[in-house]
This record gives sequence, C-alpha cells and structure tokens, in this order.
Amino acid sequence: MLEGVVINSRQHVGLQKLSALSGRIRSSVGPFKNYKFIQDESSGDSVLVCSCFRIIENLEPTCAVGQLVYETVRGHHKQYHTGSGCLLFLAGGWSRAALDSLRRGISVKHIITAMSEGIDICLDVCKKFSVSFKDLAVMEKCTAAPGGTKKASTDASIEMANFHDKCLSKSGQRKVKLSRHFCEAKSDMLSTVRHPDQPDMIVIAESLSHGCEKAMKLAVEAAQMLLKTNQQRIRDPLFDISKMLTCLVSGLPEDYACVVEGCILLLSDEQAAAAHVVKQQPLKVALITGDLSQTYRHLGFKSLPGEQCVCEDLDLSVSSKEDEWVDKVVKLLLNLEVKLILTAGLVSQKVIQHCCRHQILVVEKVNSSVLKTIGSSTGAIPVNYATQLTESCVGDGVNVEIWRDLSSYERKSLTAVNISTGRSSGLVTVVVTSCVHGKLQALEDQFWACAYRLYHALKDRALLPGAGGAELLCVHQLQKQAEHDRVKDSKTGSAANLYRGLVLQLMADGLIDYIAAVMVNTGRFTAANARTIVSKQLTEFHRDEISTEKFLQLVSQSKREDAGFSAVKPDEAPALNIYDNLSVKQEAWRKALDLVLLVLQTDAEIITGTGQKNEGNLMLL
Amino acid sequence: MKELLKSSYGPTARLKQVHNNIGGAVVTTSTSSVLLQAISSSHPIVSLIKGSILNHVSRFSDCGLFASVFCLSLIEEAGRCDLSQNVIIRVNKHLLSLCTAHLQQEDCGCKVQLDFCSSQSLITLARSVISSKPTCVLSEPESAHISRLAVQAFLLTVPCNIPDKVRLGRTVTIPMEGHSVLESAVFPGLLLDTPENISLGNLCSPLRMVLFSASLAGDLSELGDGRIEVHQGVDTDSQIVDQLLELGKQVLKDEVKLFVCQKVIHPVLQHYLRCNGVIVIERLGISLMEPLIQLTGAQPVATLHTTVPWEAYGEVHVSVRPFGSKTKLHLHPAGKTTICTMILCHRNETMLSELKLVCQKTEHVLRLTLREPCALLGGGCTETHLAAYVRHQSKNDVSESSPVLGCSQTEYLLAGEAFCRSLESVATSLEHDDGASLIDLTHAHHWTLPSDATEEHLEDAAALCGCGVVQSCQNKKWSYLNTEYAEFSPEPLLTASPLQPTVLDSFTAKVNALEVAVETANLVLDVRYVIQDVN
Repeated sequence: MLEGVVINSRQHVGLQKLSALSGRIRSSVGPFKNYKFIQDESSGDSVLVCSCFRIIENLEPTCAVGQLVYETVRGHHKQYHTGSGCLLFLAGGWSRAALDSLRRGISVKHIITAMSEGIDICLDVCKKFSVSFKDLAVMEKCTAAPGGTKKASTDASIEMANFHDKCLSKSGQRKVKLSRHFCEAKSDMLSTVRHPDQPDMIVIAESLSHGCEKAMKLAVEAAQMLLKTNQQRIRDPLFDISKMLTCLVSGLPEDYACVVEGCILLLSDEQAAAAHVVKQQPLKVALITGDLSQTYRHLGFKSLPGEQCVCEDLDLSVSSKEDEWVDKVVKLLLNLEVKLILTAGLVSQKVIQHCCRHQILVVEKVNSSVLKTIGSSTGAIPVNYATQLTESCVGDGVNVEIWRDLSSYERKSLTAVNISTGRSSGLVTVVVTSCVHGKLQALEDQFWACAYRLYHALKDRALLPGAGGAELLCVHQLQKQAEHDRVKDSKTGSAANLYRGLVLQLMADGLIDYIAAVMVNTGRFTAANARTIVSKQLTEFHRDEISTEKFLQLVSQSKREDAGFSAVKPDEAPALNIYDNLSVKQEAWRKALDLVLLVLQTDAEIITGTGQKNEGNLMLL
Repeated sequence: MKELLKSSYGPTARLKQVHNNIGGAVVTTSTSSVLLQAISSSHPIVSLIKGSILNHVSRFSDCGLFASVFCLSLIEEAGRCDLSQNVIIRVNKHLLSLCTAHLQQEDCGCKVQLDFCSSQSLITLARSVISSKPTCVLSEPESAHISRLAVQAFLLTVPCNIPDKVRLGRTVTIPMEGHSVLESAVFPGLLLDTPENISLGNLCSPLRMVLFSASLAGDLSELGDGRIEVHQGVDTDSQIVDQLLELGKQVLKDEVKLFVCQKVIHPVLQHYLRCNGVIVIERLGISLMEPLIQLTGAQPVATLHTTVPWEAYGEVHVSVRPFGSKTKLHLHPAGKTTICTMILCHRNETMLSELKLVCQKTEHVLRLTLREPCALLGGGCTETHLAAYVRHQSKNDVSESSPVLGCSQTEYLLAGEAFCRSLESVATSLEHDDGASLIDLTHAHHWTLPSDATEEHLEDAAALCGCGVVQSCQNKKWSYLNTEYAEFSPEPLLTASPLQPTVLDSFTAKVNALEVAVETANLVLDVRYVIQDVN
C-alpha cells in the first residue's frame, strides 16, 4: 500500500511514510466518504470499509511508523468513535509541513518550537470561537416567532439585516429540511423537558450529522428514549451512552432500521421455541459471566496436568461426567424456577438442548453492560458458575417478547427477541439493517460516530463552527501570526522569527489542504476550484479584522456563498449550520501533532530479533 | 554505535524506534537502558562496553549515555593519536584521578551544593532529568508539573522520625492513558484497582485486612508437574472449594473487612465474601505486594491449608477516590507513611511509557542526592570545565608526572589532549541541529550557537550558557570547541552570582559514569586478541 507514493531517499523517510499513509484516506475525510475494498492477497478475503479507522485497522501497517499511527488512531477511536480521519489527515498534512521545513534548512529544534506554538494558537482559536449552548439557545429563541411570518421572511432573508440573517436562515432551513419524523419527535418528546439554557437536541444533532442523516436520526431517537426513561431519576441532559446497544440484522432493507426500548437479541431455532413458551410473562433470570459448560474454568485456573483417575471397580453404567454435570445444573435451575439465563460466554450445545426441553431460555454472548444493567434493575447478581446460583442471585420480573420473526428473510431461521424489565431497565437497542451484509459494519460505525458526536456535544456544552469554519479561522490566525513574525523580523533582523513564520505558514497550508480535500470529496469541486474558494474566503477574513461577535455571522454567510463546505445535498438550497465537536477536534489535532513530532525526532530504527542482527539508520539527512 | 548513541544524547536528541523483526510492538525512545539492550552484537568488544554501561545504569539510572559516548570517544581518540596503548591507559588513569579529586574538592567550579531547605534546586535537578527525554513530548508547564510531582513523591518517601536505621519508602507508579499530563498527581498511601460499584457504606475505619500471596484460584498449582492419583468419585475441585470456603468463614469470624490476594481468587469465594460485606481485591500483582506489606503491617499468607494466624492481619484506612473514568481504592495508614502513589497521565501509550521510565529514573537520581548532597552543572558545562581544568593541570605538572607514568613529556601531553577532546566531544554531542559548540575562555562553560547565527549576533543568540549560570557579556572571549585554544585555568564563579543554574546533573551518577567510561575504555584498549570459539 505504501508504495503508492515515491519515497525520496534524500528526505526524512519516517515523515514520508506518515504522509503516504495519510494519503490513503484522502477520499475518506469529510461527510462524503467513498467505500473502499481492502483485499488480503494471501487469503483472497476482502472487506468493505468506509471510515478512516477501519481502513487503517484493515491495512495492518507493519512498519514502525505505521504501528505508531495505528496505536494513536485506535486510542482516539476507542474514546471518541469519530474524528480519526481528521487526525490522520492532519498528521499527514503537518508531516508534509515538517518535511518542507527540513528541506528549507530549518533545524528540528526550531520546527518543534514553532509547531507547538502553532497548535497552541489553533487550540486557542477553538476555545475562543466555540459556540456555547447558551448562545445556541438564544439564537433559537429568535426563531420562536410565529410560523407564518417565518416562512414569509425566509424568502426575503437575503435582503434582511445581518443580525437577523443567521437566525432566519436557520428557521427557514428547519422548515424545509426537517423530516416528518423530526417534527413529531420534537413536539411530543422534548418540548416538555427542555432546560431553559438548553438548545434543541434535534437541531444540534442535525448540525452534527455530517452527511449521515439516517444514522443521526437513530441516534437522536435512542438518546431521547434513554433520557425519557432516566428523567425521573436525574434531570441531566446527558444520556448514558453505555446503555445504548446495537443489533445487526442483514437481509432487511436499510429503511427498516429502528430504535427499540429494551435489549434485542437474535436467537436460533431451538432457542426460539423456548422463547415462544416463556414470552409475555414475568420471568426469573440468572446471569452468568462465564461459559455455561462443564469444562469451563475461571480465568487464572490451572488444571492439573498429571491427574490420574484410579478405578477400584469397573462400573460401566456410570454416565459421563458431563451428563452428570448437566443434570445437576438443570435440576438446580428448575429448583430456583429460573426461566431465562443470560451468559456473557458461550453455552455448550448439550446445555441448550436440556434447557429447551425444560422450557428454559438460554442466551449466549450477551454484552457485559447488558448483564450489569439487567442485574441492577432486577436484583440478580451475576455469578461465574451455574453451580454457584442460589436464591439470592436470581432476579425477578424480566419480560421476553418475540420482537420479530426474521426467518422469512434468510434461509436459516432467525428470531429476534426483546428482553426488557418491567421497571424500564433503561436499555435501548438500535437495530441496524442492510441487505448487503458487508455494509453492516460501516452502518454500525456511522451510527456510533453520530451517537458519540451527540454525546460529546452534550458533554462539552459547546460546539465548534463546522464545515471548515474552525479550520479557516485557525488558518487565518496562523497566517496573521506568520505575517506578524515576518514584519517583526525585517525590523530586528533575527532569524528565529523568520523560521517560525515559515513553519506556521506551512501548518496553515496543511489545514487548507484538509478543507480542500473535504470540499473535493463532495464531488462538486475540483481541487483547484476548492482552493480558490478557500483563499478567497481568507482574503475576506484578512481585509476586515474579525471580532468574536462578528465572526458567527461571517461564517454563516460564507457558508451560503459556497455551500460546498456543507454536507447538504445540492438540491436543498438553504445552507445548514454545521458544527463540529469541540473536545474531539482539539484532541485529534493535538494527537496528530504529537505523532508528527515523535516521527520527526526519530532518526533510526533498531530492529532486534531472534534472527541475525539487523540495524539500520533510517534518516539520511 | 557511537553515532547511534550520540544522536540520542540530551534534550534535543533524536529518537529511536526499537522493534523486533517479527512485527512486535514498537518502542520509541532515547533511553540508554532500552537502546543498549536492543543492540545485539556478535562482536565481543561491543558486548563488553554494553555490559559495563548497563551495569552502571542499573545502579545509578542516570548518565548511561554520557558514559557510553565518553567511553567510545576515548577509544576513538586513542586510535587516532598514534601512541602506544600502554601510555594512553596510564595517562587516562592518571587524568581520571585528577578529575575525581577535583570534583570531590569543596571549591570545585562545577559543583553545586544542594540545599534541602528549599525544594528549588531539587526541582531543577528533577526537571533536568525529565526534560532530557524528548519522547515524553512535554510542554514547559507540563514538565514543571511533573518535576514538582517527582520531588513531592520523593519527599514523601523520606521517613520523618529517624530510627537507628533509615529506610526509604516506595513510590508506586500507575500509568493512565488518555488524560492530560497536568492531571497527574501524587497521593500518600496506595491506590488499588477496585471491582466496580463498590460501596464503603457503613464500614468503619480502620479496617482489618488479610493478604494472601498464594493463589486462591481453586487449583493445585503448588504441586508443579507432579502426578497425583485420584479415586473415582472424588471431586478434587469441589474439595478445594470447600477448603476455600472454610478459609472464608474463618476470615469472616475474625472480622476481616478487606481481603486482598496477589493472584486469582475463586469466584465462589469472592461471591461468598462479597455477600458478607468484605471488599475483595484479586490479582494485585507481585510489584504491589511489598509496598502493601509495609503500609499495612500485614504478613502475606502463603497457603490456604492452615488457619490464618492472628499476627498476619493488618490494619488500614480506606476511602474511595474517583479518577477519570475509573474508581480507585485509596489505602492509607493511620500514621505517617513512606509509601506513596504517583499517577502519571499522558495522551498516548508511547509517551506514557517513556514518561514512566523517566519518572522512575528521577526518583533514583533524587535518592542519590541523599548520599551526596550536591549536583553538577548540566548542559555540557561540567564537561568543558573539566576539560579546561585537566588541560591546565597537565601542562603544569608535565615535568613531574611524565617520569612517574613512564613516558615522555610529549606523549603525556598528546594523551592528555586526547582525553580532553573526548570530554569536549560529549558536550558537543548535546547539539543535534548543526549548531556550533563554544567554550568561553574565562569560566570554561559550554555555549551553543545555532547554525544560522552569525558572529555579530553572538550575544543575542547565546544569552546563557548550557547550565544557565553564566550570562554572556561583551568582553568574553570565545573559542570553538573543536579548535585549539590556549590553556587557561577556569576561574571560579563569583558566589554572589544572581543566576541559579537551570540544568543540573546528578553528582554521584556522573562521577561513577566517568570512572566506568575510562575504565571500560582502558580495558578495551588493553585487549590485543579476540579468540572466538566458532563451534
């Protein structure tokens, strides 16, 4: 994969690798992503990937730099589930900046100081220009005018005064853009529980959807369902994302995706039969954290290698140890009147058969957070071994419902059941469906990205102007600083400032490249075209010094002029206000720079190993 | 090898990525202990040098790269100056004793007495160690924060009331990925991972606790590979579980509220104890055993087959402390403790592991100051100062020393020059960006000049010397380090100097590193033949 870019041996090889690696994901940044096939040459397997994280994951980079990249991206993805592309792209862009600086003879030390200063400027800009929820709520209030006048003014909004401009465009956009579902949800769910300083979650969600409107719709629905069930307990606008689950069903069209309260699990034929018996009645439940089989032992248990059985008399009638164990377990379960067993591990076939015969439903491979939630709401205590079960470990009041019989869609039969507790367990399952099996993973990723974007927005209580707005501002600030350095430089004549200005300028170029790539990916701009628009925008910025108050309005204007920034499809004319997550973006930028600085300072790779000694100097500068 | 290590030396060093040839994890570092271990060579001389440096590092933690760079340049210079190796070895030995004698003197120009009344100099020392490893990627405030923490942790481990035998405590480091460096913190006592949703509820402190070092997993792992024969119908597993529950009953009877095991605890026993209101912690790990014993006074129980003696129980105060997404159980004794826990946070794994290494090193360096409460000027100033001093001294005593060492005066001077050049080359290797290294001709301190600065801007470009004690002024004379200059005796610094040194090195570690380097170089020079057994 890396051979795609010609590596010039006179340059810093590590940085080149980084930049080459990030080149792979160029078409995957921004809201419009292209699917990619990644094929394993040795086995012939291939996967369909969409997000940047999955690309890197499936590429399995083997070189040292590649591993460093993967480690960083994985860490980021685990925490935020979004923004990996931004991280990797900027790591590439800034490694090119570092390469350029090296080529111009700037020392590593100077590059490091200047770049650290650059990131400080960028993070500062983000902090300064972030839109807090309070501001958003105020903006929204402007829109709370009667519907009729709103519509009229939408048409005239172009001529309206700048102050009202933003709000009005927003309201107009909502009229046109919102699906029927959003309107409904708003009226019956959120209107009653809105905090005064809290903007509408739907509006936030929409501005964070970044092209995945369907996934975001699901995320909003799930979040609202979670909030509704928890409302009695805490009046916190933040939902508990650990109680969100996904269930992947292939074979159904994508429109069948939906949000269901409770926990949806897929069952096989045998289990389904048991489920039909126990459905729609309060059940006793047992939770098992290990496998449900005779040979299972807990983690850390070492079985004796030298154990030998001595038989005193030959008794052929004795049944096998496993049968004995299964009988014991089933008897215990019947005694405790347990009708439902959820295990985190696997269940042996024999146990399933025996349990089904006694009308006990056994479900394996259940998410551990589900076990915990069901445990806390039913009073069941998860145990490791089935033999450990006692009266006090068994929970009460779980409902099993046949949610849908999916047998007709696939050849092998498949039934989905909904397991929920009467007293609103607080679990919400999002069913992701697709006719194409390979696409399920991408759709699930999209959903999680949206859910986490929403979650982090609510957690930060602030948003960042999106659609390249934040990046543009950073570019502007960086270029201003660079210019300032250059002017100061010509006066004093010292060289240190000159370097700084140059490096800052190059860093700004990296950001411009990012904006341009996002615009090109929308498919409506050529690379040159995108750059022209960006630079036009920048000169506008430079002409009039922007202040904080004026800024918001500027960005919204800019968006109308070149709708290419936004993720809205071309036929939907009014531009949408697009926002990004504050903490996610800041963290991604910082991680990208950390990566570049680490690689920049590395000059050799020492390969140790079992084989012959191998030690090579990478950098030939 | 010299180039490799030289480029890793100092705060602006280049980093190395170490990994094995079958695609193992990549370690990015510039730490000598990791680097040297990674270098494997079939050449016995390389292994010899590697061995002696690693030995030094294991004893003193610091100055491993200094020792290796100095040793290698001594060997290199010796090869260049065309003298008999015997002479060089003898002169080297003589000059080494000259150096150490000078460093031990009270009025040595590059030595700073550490003042334990204020933490300032200790923090400076810690900071020099921490900032010498660029893999940590620390900003100014971050490295200041970490140095403060390191000193705080060090002070916590020094016992207050001194019995007849002083015994230092321990610092336990817990790395945490994904948080900002500034969230790192130091706590007295120990922080342990807790099982989820723990509630201290109505437990009154201090709690009685028991500590097991034996595995309570319910297996018979103590037996090793031996064979045992079991009668049919006998279930060994359930018998051990019964034994474990017996143990649990006894512990409950003795009102134990905290049950800790180094290894795995059988889930049945865990369940039984939890149901009876005992906090259970398993898989403590061997490294936390010793601090926990010191903290609580509990004796580890190594078997499950006898009743637990009363003396084995310990007592400890317990509180719950949330940290990030995790909750930790905070154990602290009633009185003062010399055990403390340092939580280190960083944004990613690579930087975090290097930071952990550096903090452990800092702790060691700070401890060494207790043995000898002084430090050496850092930033290459000690090296240049020593070089100037040795050069001056060897000129003066050439007539007396050369007959004692059995060589001619010229030979003596040449070997001395080689020694000084090696010292200076260590100082030079602090600079990695093609900058020039300078020495001033009054105090003999080390100055670096960025490659782009011109002669006129000398004063602007290098305002302070390497260690930050001497300020540049107009009437100073300079010389490039690799050029010849007239010998002179370095002037001692005025005691009323307004500037505090900003970079300090560990005295004990550096003196030892100097000795190790010279002795290893001498040994290598003494080797005539290498006999290799190829079978």
